[in-house]
Amino acid sequence: MLTEQEVLQALKQVEDPDLKQDIVSLGFVKNLIMTDAEVKFSIQLTTPACPVKEQLKEQSLQAVKLIAGNRVIKIDLTSDVKASAHKKAAVLPQVKNVIAVASGKGGVGKSTVAANLALALQRSGARVGLLDADIYGPSMPLMFGITASPHVNEEQQIVPIEKHGLKIMSMGFLSKDDAPVIWRGPMVHGIIQQFLTKVAWGELDYLVIDLPPGTGDAQLTLTQLAPLSGAVIVTTPQEVSLIDARKGLKMFQKVNVPILGIVENMSYYLDSNGKRIAIFGAGGGERTARELQVPFLGEIPIEPQVAAAGDQGEPIVIKIPDSAAGVAFKSVAGRVAQELSIENMKGPELPSDFKLAWKTK
Amino acid sequence: MENKVAVKPIEIKQLGEQELGIQWSDGHLSLFQVRDLRLKCRCAVCVDEWSGEKIMKEKEVPQDVKPVSIETVGRYGLRVVWSDGHQTGIYTYDYLRQLA
Ligand SMILES: Nc1ncnc2c1ncn2[C@@H]1O[C@H](COP(=O)(O)OP(=O)(O)O)[C@@H](O)[C@H]1O
Ligand SMILES: [Mg+2]
Ligand SMILES: [Zn+2]
Repeated sequence: MLTEQEVLQALKQVEDPDLKQDIVSLGFVKNLIMTDAEVKFSIQLTTPACPVKEQLKEQSLQAVKLIAGNRVIKIDLTSDVKASAHKKAAVLPQVKNVIAVASGKGGVGKSTVAANLALALQRSGARVGLLDADIYGPSMPLMFGITASPHVNEEQQIVPIEKHGLKIMSMGFLSKDDAPVIWRGPMVHGIIQQFLTKVAWGELDYLVIDLPPGTGDAQLTLTQLAPLSGAVIVTTPQEVSLIDARKGLKMFQKVNVPILGIVENMSYYLDSNGKRIAIFGAGGGERTARELQVPFLGEIPIEPQVAAAGDQGEPIVIKIPDSAAGVAFKSVAGRVAQELSIENMKGPELPSDFKLAWKTK
Repeated sequence: MENKVAVKPIEIKQLGEQELGIQWSDGHLSLFQVRDLRLKCRCAVCVDEWSGEKIMKEKEVPQDVKPVSIETVGRYGLRVVWSDGHQTGIYTYDYLRQLA
């Protein structure tokens, strides 16, 4: 007689490589049903974008096979995205994870990374929103080919525009003419606050925020307004960009926003023979990540199609998913989700809107 | 890859009329007499930004000064509103941990 205990014991041999614990102790094994003919269970992961999900499934299959005799083994992969530990806040209460995409300077591909990251997470099955917080230079209207303006619902909330399954909000949807929006600091503060509190985001697993470039007051303000679960820093391999990336990293560390990692964009160019040519030098992003002890999330090649796709309203991840850049973006998204899961296992934290009223006699 | 985990408060409690306790994620417990904390404020009103010299006149801080409220600032510190009206100070977690 095969018992449930024996099956669970076998599954304890399977370890999640990121969380460094076995899948039974992590509570991933669910709905175990055994009959004479079959063993059936599901593995509930912490993100649908988990890069090692097939590996975990295969290892589980092998582990149970050893004891299951001739029973058929059926494994179902599901996911339940964990909420960021500090997220019991009044701001964005229905959003489980808020990811800031930042860069030390403009033009490194921050918006391109934010858009493709959001799409790749969405494609994996997660509920995702994308907030373009680059108020001075919004890029999402062009990148997603959106010309419509959002409407306001009965609760007086702005309804984000849906495209390719993503909920998107951008300053670019609101300004009627094409004149550059020139607002001052306090206004920026107000607008970002509105984006966070007056937009009907609904329930989301991930909200990706495209921050304005740089590491000044605007970025700092956002870290105080939004309950950020973590930050992704985008850089190019060039030294100037790496120096700025470091500054960005320091800023987030100073305010205790976990660094999910560094993405190196425009890392290399594939020539007609498929050979990698490192135009700006190789390995800078990875070296910087190692030096600063943060994860390196991956390299994105330079491909003219990336820029073309961005200009045509269909980011590369959906336009040409199998291109080198498309594959690289999906891999980066998996890594980001993975790092968030690790971050979210780190235990209790105060709610981000904690307040203690002192009692006096 | 090792992502350095910052030590952070997991609980902040009033322990008596004059005492504040902070329980940290690594198990350490810090205890503060609230007036001491008021005197350790490092804001620009209390400490000269350039010279680092203390501007605050300790004698003028009431003996029974107490917090009115304590709230988190982002993920890195606490802002205290004091019964003597002072409220410009932010105590970073790093600083609080240095103090006790
Ligand atoms: N990997 C890439 N390959 C080719 N072009 C890219 C790549 N990443 C970004 N671009 C292009 O570079 C320009 C700047 O990118 P963008 O995402 O707008 O940068 P940022 O938001 O950092 O200012 C855009 O025209 C974009 O299409
Ligand atoms: Mg941009
Ligand atoms: Zn002060």
